[in-house]
Amino acid sequence: MTAPEPGPPDAAPEARPPGPAPPEPAQAERADEHPTNGLDETVHQRHRLGILTITAEARQAEFGYLREALGLTPGNLSRHLTVLEEAGMVEVEKGYAGRRPRTWVRITGQGRKALARELGTLTELVRRHGAGAGG
Amino acid sequence: MADDGPEAASEAARERLGSQAELLAEMKVLRRQARAARHAYWFPLVLFGLLACASVPFYVQQVPRASGVFAIRSGGPTLPFFGSYSGFLPPRYLPYYWIAALLGGLLATQLWYRWHARRVGLATPARAYLITTVVLTVAAIVLPLLSVAKYPPSWRWLNGLRVLWPGDLVLRGTFPFLIIAVGLLALAWSERSRALTVIAVVYTGAALLASLYDVSNLLYRVGWNTSIADESLPNVLLPAAVLLLAGAGTLAARRLHRTTA
Repeated sequence: MTAPEPGPPDAAPEARPPGPAPPEPAQAERADEHPTNGLDETVHQRHRLGILTITAEARQAEFGYLREALGLTPGNLSRHLTVLEEAGMVEVEKGYAGRRPRTWVRITGQGRKALARELGTLTELVRRHGAGAGG
Repeated sequence: MADDGPEAASEAARERLGSQAELLAEMKVLRRQARAARHAYWFPLVLFGLLACASVPFYVQQVPRASGVFAIRSGGPTLPFFGSYSGFLPPRYLPYYWIAALLGGLLATQLWYRWHARRVGLATPARAYLITTVVLTVAAIVLPLLSVAKYPPSWRWLNGLRVLWPGDLVLRGTFPFLIIAVGLLALAWSERSRALTVIAVVYTGAALLASLYDVSNLLYRVGWNTSIADESLPNVLLPAAVLLLAGAGTLAARRLHRTTA
């Protein structure tokens, strides 16, 4: 599975109609900002988004659960976890349950914020495009 | 080529929309699966239901056998929130039973959640439940002690804590059911479970009724007359039945879901 790359804005900026003065530059920038600009490369990748989604549901998630739920090989999952850990979005804790080694993954506050932002952006994109297609 | 431009762009936009909607749907499924795997609240429901049933012998009132003479224990009760106000001659061990049952049940629930987390690979953030129940239990022990103690003049303001007593809720010895109820509401929030929220609200209703009304009156209306010694028992068995039925129902639904999945 490959992650969908965020594409360029679909709609070209429209010419400003005559009327009241345009808003302040920063305000105008925000208003015209396309939701794709809010997509974060680290989080947008399908499996990494999955890791954050699952870990946000629990106090911590075990490596084996994540691997099975996401259908990943241990090596692949490790690589995705490293990316998220380096970005400060998850914390990885290694330990033992009896003699069996266990790795637990916990989402950080930063990870939660990034996940909420990403899901918000995706929802907004789908809403915008859906409304565009409907209208 | 010029004609293909807008169509190709529109096709690409549709594909992107499709993959984004698909991604969102996939995340919803992952979240739902994780939540379902994590839920383990049938255990505290059954456990506290059983603990409530086990408290029944402590609620059997010791009515004086001498005809026409009833006695109400004199002197201030030391643990009024845990049942030392109830009945004519309140059972001595009821408060101690409830303190041990609440704290022991809480410990067993924590161990259960830890075991469940190791088994399924997902841990429930049950800290809010733990803190809520411990704080309420400790407050229910300490508040009466602080507010009825005799102090030197400069400390007498502590007697003003009496205003924090929950009124009639302590009269029937069923206040522990309300501590369990608040704990379950906190657990429902931690578990993010609508089903547990509904169960906790229904149970809270039953616990409030048991604390404020003699449930034996309802039984009397349908022709079941309890003796004076046993008249507290319906107030105990009603919340216990709610917990046991909810716990058993949740466990059965979970097993059924696992079989069909």
